[in-house]
Amino acid sequence: MSSLSTQVLVIGGGATGLGIAWDAALRGLKVVLIEQSDIGQGTSGRHHGLLHSGGRYALSDPVTARDCASENKILRQIAPHTIEDTGGLFVATPADPVDYPDRWFSACSQLNVPAQEISLSTMLEREPLLNPRISRSFLVQDASIDSFDLAHALVKGIEEHGGVVLLRHQLASLIRHQDRLVAAKIIDLSTGRSLKLSTSILINATGPWAKTTTAMAGIDLPLALGKGTLIAMSHRLVNTVVNRCKPPSDGDIIVPVGTVSIVGTTDVPVKEPTSLEIEPWEVDLLLAEGDLLLPGLRDSRPLRTWAGIRPLYQPTESNDSQTRSLLRSHVVLDHEETDGLQCFISVIGGKLTTFRLMAEETVDLICDKLEIDQKCSTASTPLPNKMGKFYSLPSRLEKLEHQDPLASSDQIVCECELVTRSDLELALENATAGTDLDDLRRDLRMGMGPCQAGFCSYRSYAISSERSSKPPSLKELCNFLDERWKGIRPVAWGSTLQQMELSRRIYLDLLAANQDSEDCP
Amino acid sequence: MTHIIVIGGGLTGLFAAVVAAEQGASVTLAMKGRGGLSLSHGCIDVLDRSAPSRSLSLLPEHHPYKLTGKANLKDAISRFRDLMRHAGYPYTGKISRSMSILTALGTIKRTSFAPSGIARGNISSSGSIVLGNFLGFRDFYPTMIQKQARKAGVKIVKVIDLPLLDQPNYRDAYSTDYAHLFEDTEWREEVIRMWRPLLPGVKRLGLPAVLGFQSHCEILEDLEDSLGIEIFEIPSLPPSVPGLRIERILLQQAEALGVRVIEGAGVIGRIDGRSRGKRVAGLVLHSTGRTVQLDADVVLLATGGILNGGLVSQQNHRIRESVFDLPVHHPNNRSDWVGLSLFHRQAYASAGICVNAHMQPLGLDEKPMFNNLFAAGGLLSGACRSLDGCRQGIDLATAYCAINEALR
Repeated sequence: MSSLSTQVLVIGGGATGLGIAWDAALRGLKVVLIEQSDIGQGTSGRHHGLLHSGGRYALSDPVTARDCASENKILRQIAPHTIEDTGGLFVATPADPVDYPDRWFSACSQLNVPAQEISLSTMLEREPLLNPRISRSFLVQDASIDSFDLAHALVKGIEEHGGVVLLRHQLASLIRHQDRLVAAKIIDLSTGRSLKLSTSILINATGPWAKTTTAMAGIDLPLALGKGTLIAMSHRLVNTVVNRCKPPSDGDIIVPVGTVSIVGTTDVPVKEPTSLEIEPWEVDLLLAEGDLLLPGLRDSRPLRTWAGIRPLYQPTESNDSQTRSLLRSHVVLDHEETDGLQCFISVIGGKLTTFRLMAEETVDLICDKLEIDQKCSTASTPLPNKMGKFYSLPSRLEKLEHQDPLASSDQIVCECELVTRSDLELALENATAGTDLDDLRRDLRMGMGPCQAGFCSYRSYAISSERSSKPPSLKELCNFLDERWKGIRPVAWGSTLQQMELSRRIYLDLLAANQDSEDCP
Repeated sequence: MTHIIVIGGGLTGLFAAVVAAEQGASVTLAMKGRGGLSLSHGCIDVLDRSAPSRSLSLLPEHHPYKLTGKANLKDAISRFRDLMRHAGYPYTGKISRSMSILTALGTIKRTSFAPSGIARGNISSSGSIVLGNFLGFRDFYPTMIQKQARKAGVKIVKVIDLPLLDQPNYRDAYSTDYAHLFEDTEWREEVIRMWRPLLPGVKRLGLPAVLGFQSHCEILEDLEDSLGIEIFEIPSLPPSVPGLRIERILLQQAEALGVRVIEGAGVIGRIDGRSRGKRVAGLVLHSTGRTVQLDADVVLLATGGILNGGLVSQQNHRIRESVFDLPVHHPNNRSDWVGLSLFHRQAYASAGICVNAHMQPLGLDEKPMFNNLFAAGGLLSGACRSLDGCRQGIDLATAYCAINEALR
C-alpha cells in the first residue's frame, strides 16, 4: 500500500468539500480532496440550480436567509460565469395565506434581503404565463447557478494552487492514534489499489454520507436526511425564478435553467443517502402546485426527474419527523469538542449558495488548530473560468453558424444539445481510463435534451468504440440508456412515454441491442 | 359498393386500404400525420424465434396471432409480398425459418422477411463480408459493427472507405439525404467509377440502407453489375429508407386503385347510426382548417399504439384510445406501466384494445361495441412487439383479417 501525507484531507467532492479545499489551498495549506464518484454527483448536483436571494428563508430561518443574501452578492462577484442573472419573484397565489406577504416583506427588510413589491401588470409583462389571479408580487435577487460549472471552477482553482483532487477514490477506513485521527485508508476505485493518506486534519464533507463517515471513527452523528424531488419541464416556461410567497413547502418554486424549467421540491424524510426513488404522488404534487403558479404547466411535457438528499443536523432528540422544519443553516462540528477526537471536523447542512461561507468558517477552524495565521481570501478571489459556457446552446449554435457545414468531423452527434463529433472526440481524447458514456454526458450535456439520448447514444457509443482498442461492450450503451430511462420513468405518460417508446423501437426493433445477453439487462 | 374508412397511414392502414380496394370496396384513407413506417427497419418481423410458424401455438391466448390464426397470417404476408414484388421491390424469407441479419450495431437480429437487398446480408449466406464506410455519415459505423459482430462470431473481413460525390451536408445528414443522391443516374455512374478501384477481391459488400427510394432495385442492380460484387443493405437509425419505400409503394398502389387519401385529417367525431346505436354511420374529420363529414359502411381503426397516437397515456393513470375512446386494457397504476430498464418487458407496450376474432373492438361486456367497427395493428392489446419481434406480422395479419371480416 503506497502512502502519502498532507495537511488537510477533505472527504467529499460536492460544493462543501471543494469550497473547503479551495479556501485551504488559497491560504497555502497542503490539501488533498477525495471523491468516491465524480464531482458534484451527490446533493450538489441534484438540486434546482437556485442561487438563493435569502427570501425563501426570511421567516423560517433568518440566519440562513441573511447568509444567503450576503453570499449571493459575493458569488456574483467571484463566479459570474456560473450564474445566470434571472432575478426572482415571490408571488402570492389565491391558495396562499393572505397575511404572509406583509410579514415576509418586513422580515426581508430587517435581514437586508433585497425585495421590492411590483405591480401585477409589471409582473405579467415580465412573465406573461404566470397565474393572472396572483395578488402580490415581489422582485428579489434569486438567480440560476450551474453547480457543475461551479464545481469545475473550484477544481481548477484547487489544482492551480497546488491542491490535489482525486476522483473515484473512496474512503475505506479512518486510522486513529489514541485521541487523534491521523490517517485515512483510501481505495482507488478505477484500479482497486489502496492508499494510506496521513493528514494533520481530516474534513468530513460527505453530505448525506456524513454519518457513515463519522461511524468509521466510532462516532454517531445525529443526522436527518430529507429527500427532495425535482422535475425538469421540457421548455423554458419562465425567464425569472418564481417562488410561492408562503411558508416553505412542496412545489413552491420554478427555476429556469438553460432550455428547461425546474419545478421543486418535495421534502420526504428518508433513512439512506441512496433512497432516491421517486414516488408518483411527489410528481403529481409538484405538477399540481406548479400549475398554481403557471396555469397549464401540468399539461406541458416533463422531461425528467431526479431527487437529491438534504443532510440536516438534528442534535437534540426531536419528535418532529418532518425534515422541512429543520433549519437549513450549516454546522461545523469539531469532533474534539463533541466526541473527544482530535483533528476531525464534520461540515454538515447548508445551501449551495452558502458553500463559500461554510468553507471560510471551516478553514478558519483548521488554521486555528494548525496554528497558522492566514486570512480567508475567497470572498475577493475570482474563481477560474475553465471553459466558459461552451456547452450552452447559444454558444454551440454560434460556433456551428460560423463553421464550414462540410467540415468532415463536425456531424451533429446529439441534435438536442448540438454536440458535434469533434466535441465528443476531444472529450474522448481527454478522458481518463474508466470514463463511460455517462461521464461524457456530464461533460458535454450529450443526451440531456428532449430525446433523452435516443439518437446520440448509438452515435456516441459507435464513435467511442471505433476509437477504442478494446472490444466494444454493449453494457456501456445499455447502462447509459438505462440511466436516462430511470429519470424519465416517474413522468412516463403522454409525449414523454412516446419518446421512451421511440427509444425502444431504435434499440430493440432496429438495433437488437439486447441480443448480447451477457451485456444487456 | 361498400364504403370503408380506414383511419391511419402506417403499415396497417396502408396495407388494409390496398387490400380493401383490391376487393372492390370504395376506400377512404384518413391519416392525421405520417404513419410509423419511417421508424421501422423495413423487414417483416413475424416472431423472434428460429422457427416462427412452429412457435405460434405457444403464444398466450390473447395474442393477436391467436385471433387471426396462422392461415390469415400466411395469406396476409403473401399478399404483402405480391404487392411489393409487383412494385419491383421483392421480399424474401420464410415463415418457417427466421433469417439472421446484421444490425447497424453489429448485433444479429432475427426477422422473417426482408427486402432482397437486406436479405442478402443474411449471416448464414456464403461469401466473406466487407463493409463500406461513407465518410462523414453519422448514422453508420462499420468499424464498430465489425468489432461487435466478431463477438457474435460473424467475421467481417475489412472496412473500406467509399467516397461519395457532392456529399450531403455532413453536419446533419440522415439516411434519406443519401438515398436521394443514389436516385441520380449520372451521380451514380461517377460514384461507381470512384469505387471500382477500391474493391478488388471484394465479393459481398454491406452498405447502410440508403440505396435509393423508388429506383432501389435498379440502383442495386446497377451497382452490383458495374462493380461485379454482391451488395446488401443494413438498416440504421430513423428516418428509415426501407420503411419509406414500403410507404411509397403502398400509397402509390392505393391511389392507383382509387383510394381517396385524406392527409392531415384527424377524426373529431362519430355519427352514430340506428340499429340501437351499434353502428358507426359516419365520421367527422378535421383537415386543414375545415371539417368534413363522411358516411361509412365500415370503419377500420389502424391508428397505432402509444408511439403513433392510437393510444394516449395520461398522468391520471389512464390510457385512452384516441378516436372512439374504446376501453383500453392496461395496469391501473401508471407506476406499473414502465419497467426498471428500457430492455425489460413493459406493461404499457402490450396495453391496447381487445377485439374478437372478427377484429371488432369489444366493450367491457366483451361484446362488439359497434357492428361495423374493426381494428388492427398497433392499438391491439396482448403483444410485447419489441421484445417478441412480432410487430409487422401483427400489423399485416390483423389488417388482412379485419378487411376480410369487414367486407364479408
